[in-house]
Amino acid sequence: MGIDHRKINRLLQKLRSHPYCVYAIETPHTGYLRSFRVKEGSEVQPGEILFLLERERNLKPVKSRVSGRVQRLRQDLLDRFVEAGEPILEIWHPLSQEEVISEILQEALQVLRAPETARYLPSPEIEARLRKDGPGKALVHPGEDLLIMTFMKRETPIRHEGPPAVIYRIFFDPQEVVPAGNPLLGLCSPEEVPYIDRVLARIREEWPEQ
Amino acid sequence: MSEIYRELTDLWERAVYLRDIKGEDWENISELVKVLEDLRRDFYERPSADLEKRLPGFRSRILELEDLAARTLTPYEVVRIVRHPQRFTLLDILENVYDRYTELGGEGEINIDPAVVVARAMISRRVGDKVYLHQVMVIGHEKGHGEEFREGGSAKPWGNEKALRYMKIAETEGIPIHFYIFTPGAYPIEDYPGAAQQIARNLYTMAKLKVPMVAFISEGGSGGAEAIGLADMRLMASRGYYSVISPEGAAAIEAKLKSGRPPRELVERCARNLRLTAEDNLRLGTIDRIVPEPPLGARRRDYAFFRRLRYEMIRATDEVVLQTRSLRTFRKYVLSRRNGSEVPEDFGIYVNWELSEDEKEILLENRSRKYREMSRWAICGRVSRLQSYLEKGQDLGTRMFHGLRHGIFRQSQKALRRMFEEFTQEGSAFLKPVTDPVKTVYNLVAGRKKKVPRIVSPIERIEEPEDIYVSPLALEDRTVTCPNAETHGCPDLWVPDLYGEFCGVCPNCGHHFPLEYQWYLNNIFDRGSIREFNEEISSGNPLNFEGYAEKLAEARKKTGRNSAMLTFEAKIGGISLIVAMLIADFRQGTVGVAEGEKFIRACDRARVTRRPFLALVHTTGGIRIHEGTLGVVQMPRCTLAAREYIDSGGLYIVVYDNNSYAGPVASFLGCSPYQFALRSTRLGFAGPRVILETTGQPVPPDYHSAENALRRGHIQGVWDRRELRLKLYEALLTMGGRNLYYR
Amino acid sequence: MKERLLIANRGEIALRIMEACEELGLDYVVVYTRADEESLHVRRARRKFRIADYRDPNEILAVADEAGCTAVHPGYGFLAEDFRFARRVVKRSRPLIFVGPRWEVIRDLGSKLNVKRLAREMGIPVIPGTTEPLYNEIEAEAKAEELFQWLVENGEPEPRLLIKASAGGGGMGIEEVRELDEVRPIFRRVRAYAKRLFGDEGVVIEAKLSCFQHLEVQLLGNQHGELVHFGTRNCTIQSPGRQKRVELAPGFDPAYLTYEFSPERVLEEIVNHSLKMAEAVGYDSVGTWEWLVTPEGRAYLMEVNTRIQVENEISARISRIRKRPVNLIREQIRMALGEKLGYTQRDITFQGTAIELRLVAEDTRRNFRPLSGTITRFQYPRYPWLTVRTHVPQDRPYTIPTEYDPNLALLIVWGENTPQALERARRALEEMILEGHTSGGGPLHSNVSYLWEKLKEVYRFPV
Repeated sequence: MGIDHRKINRLLQKLRSHPYCVYAIETPHTGYLRSFRVKEGSEVQPGEILFLLERERNLKPVKSRVSGRVQRLRQDLLDRFVEAGEPILEIWHPLSQEEVISEILQEALQVLRAPETARYLPSPEIEARLRKDGPGKALVHPGEDLLIMTFMKRETPIRHEGPPAVIYRIFFDPQEVVPAGNPLLGLCSPEEVPYIDRVLARIREEWPEQ
Repeated sequence: MSEIYRELTDLWERAVYLRDIKGEDWENISELVKVLEDLRRDFYERPSADLEKRLPGFRSRILELEDLAARTLTPYEVVRIVRHPQRFTLLDILENVYDRYTELGGEGEINIDPAVVVARAMISRRVGDKVYLHQVMVIGHEKGHGEEFREGGSAKPWGNEKALRYMKIAETEGIPIHFYIFTPGAYPIEDYPGAAQQIARNLYTMAKLKVPMVAFISEGGSGGAEAIGLADMRLMASRGYYSVISPEGAAAIEAKLKSGRPPRELVERCARNLRLTAEDNLRLGTIDRIVPEPPLGARRRDYAFFRRLRYEMIRATDEVVLQTRSLRTFRKYVLSRRNGSEVPEDFGIYVNWELSEDEKEILLENRSRKYREMSRWAICGRVSRLQSYLEKGQDLGTRMFHGLRHGIFRQSQKALRRMFEEFTQEGSAFLKPVTDPVKTVYNLVAGRKKKVPRIVSPIERIEEPEDIYVSPLALEDRTVTCPNAETHGCPDLWVPDLYGEFCGVCPNCGHHFPLEYQWYLNNIFDRGSIREFNEEISSGNPLNFEGYAEKLAEARKKTGRNSAMLTFEAKIGGISLIVAMLIADFRQGTVGVAEGEKFIRACDRARVTRRPFLALVHTTGGIRIHEGTLGVVQMPRCTLAAREYIDSGGLYIVVYDNNSYAGPVASFLGCSPYQFALRSTRLGFAGPRVILETTGQPVPPDYHSAENALRRGHIQGVWDRRELRLKLYEALLTMGGRNLYYR
Repeated sequence: MKERLLIANRGEIALRIMEACEELGLDYVVVYTRADEESLHVRRARRKFRIADYRDPNEILAVADEAGCTAVHPGYGFLAEDFRFARRVVKRSRPLIFVGPRWEVIRDLGSKLNVKRLAREMGIPVIPGTTEPLYNEIEAEAKAEELFQWLVENGEPEPRLLIKASAGGGGMGIEEVRELDEVRPIFRRVRAYAKRLFGDEGVVIEAKLSCFQHLEVQLLGNQHGELVHFGTRNCTIQSPGRQKRVELAPGFDPAYLTYEFSPERVLEEIVNHSLKMAEAVGYDSVGTWEWLVTPEGRAYLMEVNTRIQVENEISARISRIRKRPVNLIREQIRMALGEKLGYTQRDITFQGTAIELRLVAEDTRRNFRPLSGTITRFQYPRYPWLTVRTHVPQDRPYTIPTEYDPNLALLIVWGENTPQALERARRALEEMILEGHTSGGGPLHSNVSYLWEKLKEVYRFPV
């Protein structure tokens, strides 16, 4: 597989013109919205407490996972009972170098996409290999179980078809349900690894860390 | 000309030394230093006659100041003397006290641990016109004179391991060991096998090492000092210090500082309170003798001091050896001591340092007696001398009773066991989890069928009139979030479930929430089987540490207990055992005289009644600093007792939980061959803050985790609290020596 | 004060509870997850709260408090048989009524081993096997030998044992053993599995019956000690994953088939045994005693379900209380609220045969793989003899959530007798329209033709 530099350039250009990702922060569960720890327009860092949600006398801090600016904060919900999944605020997150890389990699790599809306886990062997070698080095052979899909209360293995490949990137979180069609893994042939490394080096240069 | 310069230099050095010891603001010393410095710098520009005239004035001023300095020396200034780069070090001693030496296990920087020096050395004595050479093993810390690689004499675990290895070689070769303690403390890292674990191993070995050992303390920094400090005779330099913690460390704790430096005034006060000088320690009985130094401390070139030290080391070794022989010779020898300031050239008597087998036994007995006696005077509570003698008598009675009882029943029990073993082929497989435990064939055969209390939820309690223990934590209608919820997706836990049925463990990820010590008492042991003993032994304030009496009173009031150590008899699955338990509620489970004494008595009780012995650590914060070196010596004392128990064929198990740190872990807990930690344990020598301060390196958050302790070889397994009772039961059946009542 | 019920479930059972509440004149509040937004149980409810998870007691109780509920109905599945939930509901500082048995009953009858032990003590037959979890190989082998012996003596041509995790359920952690030498390795494997999955190493061994029918006894009790039964059901037709697909009431039909034993006697025996045990534990809600019956007519108690069951309506359908129709969910709620029965066993009569068909989006040709996708058209005929229970809307496309079982509808058919009921069941299946596509774009399969085929086998012993 050749790497399409033109396509990558186009994508980079697009990202430059809108370098944000908007994260809607919702309540993880029901409860009383007890207090906001941020204001409209404040800048937050990952791990910063956004608001406190109390359920069954347990005051739980809801933290930000990303950095960015707080927008559309629902002040009106304060001290009210809120349902699960209620949007509370948005975080406008400026794309970091790593996230740009993630976008680019979705173009450059062979992407394995979620066949169903389900939970996914690396198979035990792959997980061990990833832990040992790390992404970018862990090799998967034809016929091996790559992932385990937990779908409709059943576990279905997803087998790797095709030639041996390097797992270059993991796009999903094993804790979360992955919607069908979302990227799971980015694979490439072992020979392509140096090319992709070079593409990434280029992005790192062009997209300096804030 | 050069004579004048030399004298000027000498005066300047002495002034600088005074400034270093007494501080820059003392008696305008800084000014004097500056004047002398300027004179030295411009020495060749000035007429020498002028200088010659001024010299006597300087000389008498310095002498005057030195005299004043010595008279007003504070404990903290003693600490400064010890830390001064001009102070003599072990290599100076090897050069000047010994006649020939060969360094073993490294040289200078090329060394497994440059902070620990081991040398095979010879020391000579003259008797008449004959010179006798004695072979000794010299083991000690090398502070160096400012070289960084020596780490100021802080031994790493492998440095202490080197020391241990050569102690054993000395034993093999039958030569005495001279220990030289020059350490601010052990280097607090947890690398293989961990600072605490290595010190504990050293203490365990020294407790029964069959050669005479003499230790000399210049800088005795707590646990690091004990790693080579369990000697038959402990000498101390008159300007040395021996302390549970550095004055700065104590001040930081007293001021509850998280970072930064404590105020000088507080440091001075702590140094005073810690009773760390040689005179203090002699009075406390934690050392045996003081080796006099010049008033402001001995330095690298104080040859008179080295002569003195040689004399004292030889005499001390002689005394240890003679104490294993006839008492008469020993007395005579002690009387022959000359206490004048000058050391005699001729020793007048030769003592052979080789011991016979019988003498080795006596040596060990003497050592045991020495350490058991140490700090005993400071025990508070209803325990008089007389009583402890009575107790001894009782011990004898108990021993006979148990001997008889189990001697008689043993045969038939053994037969039963054999039958059982033949039947099963796999004796240990017959164990069931704690949820439905102890209904094993063995118990049925042995007729010990006991119903084991289920862990009961608080709610059932309300309905069942039976007196079932409920954690006070469980009595609230609320939920808590597991700390691993984000990574493991754990649901919020309802508090009555969590602290009831779930034993304080998240059922999803296994996270252990902390529980009060009463929970262990009520859920680990057979119901109603706990019989506490020696409750009356109480923590006191032997050093009159300012403010400590109030803190103790508060702890007493809070817990209704007299010390942080509980000792009791209890049963697990019908097997009776002795337990020593350190609890967090009383001064963070720190160990002082009372705790040590209770531990020793529990050890002895386990030995004479042939019970297995469990040390259950709810939390221990280390040696209690307010009891100074009286606390520190609990390390060798208790290790010795534990060793004697293990040697008698018992089973000594240690189970850690929560925070288990420092001295106790580095001695009587860490010496157990069977150490286990619950998943919630943080186990090690020093906490993260001390490590950062000492090494300059931060440690990862899981540095002290039970899993890492297992990886390093400190512990033998990580246990789940829900299975603690079962695991203990299994251990009682499968581990330990032959001298248990049920074997 | 008017009681207000929180319905802590989804789908058709939530709808049925809603209906029962309306009949009883009670308020109710519904919870739902984002995936269920289009479900009828959400669309029909006036008061509803979106929650994160039906399985999270904290969500249920937080909503119950906020909505001012006085009782919780757990439905089936999810929290229905979680005794800790039931206990928390009644023991919390703001206690609620739990619509179900007392939590102690749930705890004690929720353990199969406990049920077995209890049954043995009362002289009720159970499948031979261990009554306590085993933890070591030697005990296991000894037990296995005994069980093989028993199977041979009972004329089993190919004796088999089952080794199960005692904490397991739903087909997880079960392995089959054919000979004694296999016991040790399989025991160890199951034990390791059990420890890993359930945190308890306990393992049980049971004789495996090669041929049996699965019968159930439907009971109803209350706090006043009243206890009645609503006959029996036959749930023999199950998917390979032991999931019920076709159920009938009553349990046997001698008019339809001839048996090698007296079906009346067996039915009477299992009903009486079930009543005896329910009385002994003070059973105070709806509950089901599950039995296995061999071709020789031997019945063994298997387990007790301490909840309302999916198939409860076929029992209700063939029952009459003083000639009036029965709603078991309504009865369950009434009992929970402390009411008395108002009738006795003598007032309950039975008539005809009822069949339940479970319509599921599954690929019956590919090992009953559950399917997800979008239903574009769903229609069923209206007859007085047919009740359809479904949460799937008929007026708009519906996407099947992937987090739950893809149950689409229950078809409950009644006939004067079994042949008529079967004929009507076929007609209902024929006239039903279900169209849709999977997320991949292919046609959405369902188990309609499988159900059709299985109707031939009703009341028969599997071959």
